[in-house]
Amino acid sequence: MSTSIDKSEHAQADDYLNAPQGRVAKVIEHLKRDWQIYLMLLPTVIWLIVFLYKPMYGLQVAFKDYSVFRGVAGSPWIGFEHFETLFSNDQFIRAIKNTFIISFYTLLIGFPMPIFLALMFNEVINQTFKKTAQTIVYLPHFISSVIIAGIVIAGFSPSSGVVNTFITYLGFEPIYFLTKPEWFRPIFIGSTIWQEAGFQSIVYLAAIAGVSPTLYESAVVDGASRWQMMWKITLPSILPTILIMLIIRIGNLLEVSFEMIILLYQPATYETADVVNTFIYRQGLLGGQYDLAAAAGLFNAVVAFIMVMTANTISRRYSNTSIW
Amino acid sequence: MSGVKLERIVKTYGDVEVVHGINLEVDEKEFVVLVGPSGCGKSTTLRMIAGLEEISTGKLTIDGAVVNRVAPKDRDVAMVFQNYALYPHLNVAENIAFGLRIRKEPKENIKKIVDEVAQTLGLTPYLERRPADLSGGQRQRVAMGRAIVRRPKVFLFDEPLSNLDAKLRTQMRAEIKRLHKRLGVTSIYVTHDQVEAMTLADRIVVMQDGNIEQIGTPMDLFLNPANAFVAGFLGSPPMNQIRATLATGASGPVAQIGNQQLPLPTLPALADANGQEIIVGVRPEFADIAVADTPDQIHINLDLVETLGSEALLHASLGDDSFVLRTGTLGKMEMLDNVTGFTIKPELIKIFDGTTGVAVAGQVQRA
Repeated sequence: MSTSIDKSEHAQADDYLNAPQGRVAKVIEHLKRDWQIYLMLLPTVIWLIVFLYKPMYGLQVAFKDYSVFRGVAGSPWIGFEHFETLFSNDQFIRAIKNTFIISFYTLLIGFPMPIFLALMFNEVINQTFKKTAQTIVYLPHFISSVIIAGIVIAGFSPSSGVVNTFITYLGFEPIYFLTKPEWFRPIFIGSTIWQEAGFQSIVYLAAIAGVSPTLYESAVVDGASRWQMMWKITLPSILPTILIMLIIRIGNLLEVSFEMIILLYQPATYETADVVNTFIYRQGLLGGQYDLAAAAGLFNAVVAFIMVMTANTISRRYSNTSIW
Repeated sequence: MSGVKLERIVKTYGDVEVVHGINLEVDEKEFVVLVGPSGCGKSTTLRMIAGLEEISTGKLTIDGAVVNRVAPKDRDVAMVFQNYALYPHLNVAENIAFGLRIRKEPKENIKKIVDEVAQTLGLTPYLERRPADLSGGQRQRVAMGRAIVRRPKVFLFDEPLSNLDAKLRTQMRAEIKRLHKRLGVTSIYVTHDQVEAMTLADRIVVMQDGNIEQIGTPMDLFLNPANAFVAGFLGSPPMNQIRATLATGASGPVAQIGNQQLPLPTLPALADANGQEIIVGVRPEFADIAVADTPDQIHINLDLVETLGSEALLHASLGDDSFVLRTGTLGKMEMLDNVTGFTIKPELIKIFDGTTGVAVAGQVQRA
């Protein structure tokens, strides 16, 4: 009995020693060993290929005089002509400017907000109040952007909106918020923060839950107040999470919430509201200029790629935290 | 007088009482160790002293002032935690200085104190390192440094060495002892390791199920445990406890173990108690081994001999109870496998009541 066990152990050891050590062989070995895990990964990989990688084939239309009838392959190459057209178009330049301004303010105000909310929730002692408040701030995330836009439009309506009702109650003239370019950005940024800040705070709350309670106990004995503990323990402890979230946000910076913009803007507010994605939507889908829209989209993607690479490199260099 | 006094301290969680009205007085500069099995309430007691747990009822006095309602920071205590509780984002110097920075000490002062403490603990080369880059022992020293810089009235240690390996634990134990000698600060130390308790303590407090079983010097507790629990908890291996019946032999009281008779010390409490169930306590190191021709031996059935180098542990059984003997190996190696029993001087035997486990009056003295 013991001989047979020894023999099989030897055989296993020999198999291991004789196994090919190349990279492909290692991958095959991994696939064989953990096939259940790779099987679970498969749907996501298929989704990525079908919806994100296959469409990249169409990106070449950005460099072609694309015609629906000739198809992607049949359309002639025209080099950077579309990009030249775009950069000589005032509307596109305005869209880039608006994208950066809206993104910058959304990041500046919208990024710290969930962190602030998580820190505040963490300080709430009354559990009933905490749960109620959390539910209230998470709720808007689960409401469709169309409904949110409807609520915003209704809320800022010059005739029946709650905001203008209050303004007129104070004796002022009602303001036509959604037709005034100077009001678009604050309303848009405010409504996106309202919609997403609560839900985004979950990530930070999870990070806070991971901080060892003895760090707080030790600080309490050392004489730290709740405020000091928040600044000197909680915040530094969740800093790696904050940085990862920041890198992801920077990667999505130029995306803006363009569905929300489309729902809220109108020609009167294009001056401050029109962003690259809404420009692409109007040129490509509404105007039928797919090649020009593809060029604008490619430009957007390249800038986003550069930004996320830069943010990741900076974060890795200065805080040892990075996505890759 | 920076002593600590606990008077009828009770801790309840909801309806469950976990500490049942304990009384303890720790003198100034004394090193007291709370020891007991997991869940005995020792850490809870320590946390109540630190102010991390509210005291349900009773009175806690530190340095003469009642501190039941005083915030932890105002109790002037410093605590060293089991998992060190070092701030991972701060380097060693910043970790040590944390308490001083919170108290807004002048920067030059902080630097001076941190340098001094780092010097004392041998941490000077590591001041710029983060906790993740330190070994377990170094982390433990940083945790102690953080407590020392505060110059508190009382040090509280919550199982500070339990995360270290055996060798490092012995080393750090000696360092803690040395540090206490040098600083002379009242210290309360919680551990479940009886070796730590024996080596560090001026006095040991043995706890079980939220009660104090016995308070005394390490040797007091070792030689004269108040009950069978303390006898079984202190000492490695612990005291042998053999169920027997009290009888009268030719020259005084004896313990009837099966058909064998073990002579007992002549104690007034044993007179007129014939037939009473008792527990005979024999320290493994107090008994002498016996071979076939040794007279007056108590026979045991030897199961196993564990040789530890200079000494050996002999695992055996006596009636229904297991029995361990500890003996030196020098010149005895040949006879260890032939051990048939043991002999012991009656005055080295402890006797406990068979029902309550409480020690029967009488003191074991050993020079």
